Amino acid sequence: MHSNRTKTAPLPRIYLVSSGVESAENGKLLLNQLTRLPRSLSCMVQIREKKLSAKELLTLALKAREIELHENTLLLMNERLDLALAASLDGVHLPENACSVKVLRPLAPKLIYGCSAHSLSAMRIAEEAGADYLLFGPVFDTPSKRVYGAPQGIEKLEAICQATSLPVFALGGITPKNAPLCMAKGAYGIAALSLFQDSFRFADTIEELYFNMNPSCP
Amino acid sequence: MMPHPPFFCFITDETLCPVSLAEHALKGGAGMIQLRHKQASGSQLFLWAVTIRKLCRQYRALCIINDRVDIAMASQADGVHLGQQDMPIEAARKLLGQDRIIGVSASSIKEAMQAEKDGANYIGFGHIFPTSSKEKEYAPLGPETLRQAAAHISLPIVAIGGISHENAASLIASGASAVAVISAVSRATDPTLAAHNLLCAIQKSHS
Repeated sequence: MHSNRTKTAPLPRIYLVSSGVESAENGKLLLNQLTRLPRSLSCMVQIREKKLSAKELLTLALKAREIELHENTLLLMNERLDLALAASLDGVHLPENACSVKVLRPLAPKLIYGCSAHSLSAMRIAEEAGADYLLFGPVFDTPSKRVYGAPQGIEKLEAICQATSLPVFALGGITPKNAPLCMAKGAYGIAALSLFQDSFRFADTIEELYFNMNPSCP
Repeated sequence: MMPHPPFFCFITDETLCPVSLAEHALKGGAGMIQLRHKQASGSQLFLWAVTIRKLCRQYRALCIINDRVDIAMASQADGVHLGQQDMPIEAARKLLGQDRIIGVSASSIKEAMQAEKDGANYIGFGHIFPTSSKEKEYAPLGPETLRQAAAHISLPIVAIGGISHENAASLIASGASAVAVISAVSRATDPTLAAHNLLCAIQKSHS
């Protein structure tokens, strides 16, 4: 691990990816989710809103940063290191076709750099570039699968996890029921979008996930 | 830091290879290249930025990256060009420091004055004439508005929108330090020659 943050505290095991449906004025869903996050639990949170302009994304990120969160909760920006820095976020999540960690880390060594890796070759590239964690998916069928392609299945997740020493988050169709299976196959944690979009059930879902994944985990 | 006026800026065409176009424009005498490609992936943009930045150094021109401050930092480009929907100037300045160039698009005198106040290094002002390169929601500003803008702000103004070697000289005469073009170079049968003709046109107006 290269990041200062990860040296002091292990990465949280639950990873929330923002819905991607935020409109310019509000960013309501994400801010609502962050407000409802149980303070006793830490979480990875990625702001991924492709429809927003850079200006709107920065406004949303600054609002998110103002919310009081668990000290180990990490706020990440999808792809844009400049916006992550401008909003004092904790890191950047890089899609497979983004600028490499190798290029970006020297600009801001203390940040956390995660990489999407949907194949063994992409996993190797991310590992060599110095990623702090990997996001792999889609493991199961999911409403947001259009974004990530067809499900890859639990065996492929296992193969990726066995081939790398980096923490791997399983993404795509994750539920509190199948999360333990992902962990059993070697995932470090789980990531989701749709699962977290019911704001009334949000806090319960997070707690259920934590309990199912490991009753004693932080 | 900024090229000596009058100069011209070539903005890369969304649908054509930015590197070869940039090289044509530089051979023809461009003082500034702006890499602008909204659809490209981050890794592609970075590779283009590094290559164009090297070409620009070779031709003693500036390399400016549209919108992506991160790509500008990573590629050690000379600066960024920010639209009104991009990162605010103050935030970009904190990341880039005082030595890098920040250009800002303005489509009114009010926006231009605000950008000057916020610390921009030049104003991209337009569109001056009707243009086919981008869908526009408002009417062309015309040379008279450019003249007024030049009277209100002291920053260099780069006029943009529907500019060719035929009308470029009049804009320098109206107070622009430079003109920016896309299609006048990218769609020309001989882009290097088109760039050269543009340079001749603005230099003639200046002498």
